[in-house]
Amino acid sequence: MGLLSDPDVGSAKWVRVLKRVHGPVCFLCYVGALVWFVLLGHRDFNNETYFSENALLPGLVTNEFNAEQSASQYYNELLLELETKYEEMDVMPVSWLVGMMSHIHLEVYTHNFTLHYPLGRGQVFRGTNVYGILRAPRTSSLEALVVSVPYRNVGSHQKTTAAGIALMLAFAKFARPQKYWAKDIIFLVTQHDQLGMQAWLEAYHGLHNENEPFHASLGSFWKPGTPAFNMESFFPNIPLRRNHKKALNPGTLKGRSGSIQAAILLEFSTPQIRYIEVKIEGLNGQLPNLDLVNLVHKLCQKSGIHHSFAKSYSWIRGRDSMDEWKNGFWTMFEMVLGQIDGVPDGNHGLFHRFGIEAVTLEGRDELDPGGKVPRVNSLSFCNFYKLGIALESILRSLNNLLERFHQSYFFYILASTHRFISIGQYMPSLCLLCVAMLIRALSLWVTTLQQDGDYNDKQTKKVTTKSSKHKLEKAKDSDSEEPGEQETQEVKKVKTPEKKKATINMSVLNIGVNYLLLHLIGYGVMNTPFILSYYGSLYYNKPPEVSVYFGIISIAVLLIFITPFLPYMLRKGPITYEELSLVNILVLTELSTVCLSVAMQNFSLGFAIAVIYTPLALMTSVYVKGSGKARACVQLLKRVWCVCVHPLVVVVASMVAYSRTLVADDTWLATLGRGSDAAMQAIMFSVADSMLYGNWLFNLTTSVILPIWLIFWQILNIKVDAP
Amino acid sequence: MDFLRRFLSYCIFFTFFLCVRCDEFREELFFKPLPSTHLYSYFQFVTLVDSEVSSFHSHLAPRSLAEVVSRFQVEELHLTLTEGQWRHHQWGYPVLDAAPGAELYAWFSPDVTDVDTQWKKLSATLSGLFCASLNFIDSFNTVTPQMALWPMGAVKSSQNVTSQLRYASLPREIVCTENLTPWKKLLPCESSRGFSALLNSRMIHNTNYHSVGVHVRKVCKSSDCLETQLEFKQTVALIYDYDIIKSNDWSFRKLFGQGLPGACPLSTDSKIYVDVTSNSTQPFTLSPPPDNIILSQRGRTDTKLAVYNIHPDGKMINIGVKHKTKSQIPVSIHPPLFFNRYVLGYGKEFGGIVTEITNNCLAPINVVVLENAPWWLPIQLSTLRVNGEAESKLVQSQYYSPGRSRQKPYHLELLIKLPPKSTTTITIDFEFVFLKWQEYPPDANHGFYIGSALISANLPTARNYTSLPITGTTFDSVINDTKLWYPIVFRTNGAMVSLPTPDFSMPYNVICLACTVVALAFGPLHNICTKELVLKPSGTSLSLTQKLLNLFKKKKD
Repeated sequence: MGLLSDPDVGSAKWVRVLKRVHGPVCFLCYVGALVWFVLLGHRDFNNETYFSENALLPGLVTNEFNAEQSASQYYNELLLELETKYEEMDVMPVSWLVGMMSHIHLEVYTHNFTLHYPLGRGQVFRGTNVYGILRAPRTSSLEALVVSVPYRNVGSHQKTTAAGIALMLAFAKFARPQKYWAKDIIFLVTQHDQLGMQAWLEAYHGLHNENEPFHASLGSFWKPGTPAFNMESFFPNIPLRRNHKKALNPGTLKGRSGSIQAAILLEFSTPQIRYIEVKIEGLNGQLPNLDLVNLVHKLCQKSGIHHSFAKSYSWIRGRDSMDEWKNGFWTMFEMVLGQIDGVPDGNHGLFHRFGIEAVTLEGRDELDPGGKVPRVNSLSFCNFYKLGIALESILRSLNNLLERFHQSYFFYILASTHRFISIGQYMPSLCLLCVAMLIRALSLWVTTLQQDGDYNDKQTKKVTTKSSKHKLEKAKDSDSEEPGEQETQEVKKVKTPEKKKATINMSVLNIGVNYLLLHLIGYGVMNTPFILSYYGSLYYNKPPEVSVYFGIISIAVLLIFITPFLPYMLRKGPITYEELSLVNILVLTELSTVCLSVAMQNFSLGFAIAVIYTPLALMTSVYVKGSGKARACVQLLKRVWCVCVHPLVVVVASMVAYSRTLVADDTWLATLGRGSDAAMQAIMFSVADSMLYGNWLFNLTTSVILPIWLIFWQILNIKVDAP
Repeated sequence: MDFLRRFLSYCIFFTFFLCVRCDEFREELFFKPLPSTHLYSYFQFVTLVDSEVSSFHSHLAPRSLAEVVSRFQVEELHLTLTEGQWRHHQWGYPVLDAAPGAELYAWFSPDVTDVDTQWKKLSATLSGLFCASLNFIDSFNTVTPQMALWPMGAVKSSQNVTSQLRYASLPREIVCTENLTPWKKLLPCESSRGFSALLNSRMIHNTNYHSVGVHVRKVCKSSDCLETQLEFKQTVALIYDYDIIKSNDWSFRKLFGQGLPGACPLSTDSKIYVDVTSNSTQPFTLSPPPDNIILSQRGRTDTKLAVYNIHPDGKMINIGVKHKTKSQIPVSIHPPLFFNRYVLGYGKEFGGIVTEITNNCLAPINVVVLENAPWWLPIQLSTLRVNGEAESKLVQSQYYSPGRSRQKPYHLELLIKLPPKSTTTITIDFEFVFLKWQEYPPDANHGFYIGSALISANLPTARNYTSLPITGTTFDSVINDTKLWYPIVFRTNGAMVSLPTPDFSMPYNVICLACTVVALAFGPLHNICTKELVLKPSGTSLSLTQKLLNLFKKKKD
């Protein structure tokens, strides 16, 4: 605080140095952050993975899995069943699954759930999950492990999971007569992919109660009555929240086990896979404990199955350190890209919010989309035996766990299947970006302060000389006067003129209201999809994605035109340089805080925001009237850049780039069209994800990033008089 | 020769006991196949002693236990040590239910004024007797149930029994051989003869569920109840899983690792009962064939019991069952009343406990539900909801005693009328609290156990009911015992929560680091403090006077 109140601050040496060098320092920080990040892929900057939890004892048991025959039998039976009875139907073979599971003597239950789609016309989807519980002997069902397979019907665009179901059933059959289980095992087949999983998890944790006791209100992001700012009271005629109900009604479970310690999800379409991809990214970028990831990789290796993670392949080793660096960086980069959207890349991602560590094992062969896999054809095919052995050893290892996963890392980036970067190693790169913004804010602060100081310099000097004289006289007069009191008087005297000056130049209220209003606009935009989709379907008969997409575009354009004039509406006089600088400082601080706090949960998202917005934040400066043509040109360029990093533009641009990578041989116009379509879908997905699963991305972008962007836009568009 | 010796010894034994004839010992074994591939076997060893006889003159009754009972003036005592969970909705009801872990409750005689002190002493003594951690029973995990528990024995009708009752359960207790061995020592034949010879710890600790219990109560000697007897009942309940024993044909050899070497010579009666009601649907044969088959009608439920009278002749008996067909998928019919208990919510801030009770009967059932939450799990009465309603008409009576941190558990009892064919959900919320760092148990991240809730009910039907009537001591009392109500006390399953736990590896690391630093620093410091560095002149040695002079010279400088 000394810095904020010290009148001599302008003359301090470091302030002068700061003012001179802050530009290059900020630039260096930015470049340094990027370089740091790139360096993380190198061997010397990351670590070999290791087991922290000794109780896992991976691979110490003698594998006994012998149910490969029944696995292939289940596989053939399931395929036959699907062909004869369920062909081209979006129905799960519930009776078959129930029959098979009760034949193995599991406790079998079904679970029904309903989704009232919150957007558009409010369609209703129903689904059924089937699960069987293997009760461990000699325990009172306090802990459980989950083995789950998402059911995908033959006609779906994704691969089926028939072999996964067969493997799971065969494993259940093998595991049922074993007496060593210390934790119950829940074998779960979910319908509608993530929806079924989310419904099952919510039902398991009891987030469905009608009257919402407080343990239940911690569930999904969208809840009736959660926001204190209730839009509905303002617009009673507009149906903001359909039916006042949560979109997903998870139903109830008839049977349960104890607290779930870990979950393994299987996605195998055929047993003839070449390798297993271990998927870890969860909702909002949450990750499973590194011990579990490590365990899965180690045990795949031990069972003789090739495994991979995000283009890091267990059978490919870099030729030299440069090659390894390149591979490591691309794996890292892939993982970061995957984490940005916060959408889980498998059903495992929904477990993480409930404090359950989960990973998905996906079987892949050479025909997989998403890039060519090197030397995949030379790999031998996998079979049910190997997969069963792997599953058995993973589960028996988890069975050994005495405590829930708490050791090892929860925040990390993987550079390959066996190397990781911990939070302590990757955070500095983000911190450098935020430091750049903070340095910029500090330099702005001392600049405004010094300008005040210059203005007051003469006055201040007079006052000090006067007061010192006064003091001398007083000291002569009476000894009883305490020195401290004098000094406080003195300080008061010194300060008063400065304060006056401040009230003249700056109205904190006006800019504060403007600041708050922009954030409220952001909050409003966050709530628009309801209204947009409602009116879109009512008047234009458009599907919700179209109405939401074009609605948001028009809102964004409208805001671009309105917001520069917003501060003028709230005040009479012109905006001063000091005010705008203060806004600039505030927004810089806010952006850096947001980046850091988002990165605490989802590093990739925080880092991406920082990388995109730091240049804008650093180059934004208050434009003074009549500063010359060159400055005006630069200002124009800054505005163009600002539009380029508008959140919506960023989304569309990244979608275009993504579709370009998918289909490279296409005209640019077609790519643009496809990218726009993809952006439409992406926005719709993020809105729906935010409502159903509690994904933050849409909420964060509209209620935090958009207002920050609008403030930058204001600063760039308002011309002020020279101070 | 051997036979003669044995015969003589028997003669001596019997003449001795026949002339004293104040103690009576009976052993019984009950088998019942349970739906979904399980087999229930229940051992019961009952010793009846005249109450008036001093505990120092016990003959068949376990003297150590009798002494404890008389010393602490215990009227009735129930102790069970259980591993595993009885699954009521699948298996039906056990003869005696038990909570997972250790459970102890006792009524003290009305003469005892300071019940809490006696209770503490009793639990500490029993802890030594059974090698169980019952000494962890303290005021912070003891409750006095108001409605849920009633004495099973004979008490005077005017007596205030509730204030003399204490109940505690230790859900984390693990039961093993070390508890079984002292338990077996209480039997007159120990484990050498009789049914207890079957209790081979290698086999019984491998079952799906095993529960060892000791129950002491007063029973009436005659119907007018002028004289009472002390009944010591020792029980073992085991559940075998056909899948784990790899076939649904069982025999003593398969279950217990050996045959039965005859009855205990000291017992007046040794009987084995096998429930053969399911024989009509899943035909099987018993070998050797039973002595007789009794048809018992209890309520409107028919039960067929095959009875074996076992004699103390030392012959190896291996009773077994052979099924005619391969096991079919069993259709499990839910019992009249079943329940489920689980923890709601996630995260480390709030949670809720739910007890779901389903009444499957056509008549309403009154039940008392006792929720017993430890002090570190503060349940709040304001959050109590029955079927989602704060003020439910189903609740007829309610007792709540709030807990106190580190002193008293939270205790809630509800008398609920369950409507026919319905499920009632009782929800109560709790907050997580921070413990002091020394209060965390080892493996703190394993989670914290919440004990079972007690549900005591009067069932209107005897379906799935296997308990003995309250006046009965042995299994014959079950036969044709039709009553209006069938009282039973259930224990629900427990639950586990993970409290906010600090990173214990951090203090460990700090300790390691600090110790290393201290160890490293200690050596040099000790050296510096105790040793003196002296320059040894290489030339001629100085004389003493010169040394002294040198000292003074230095000081001058």
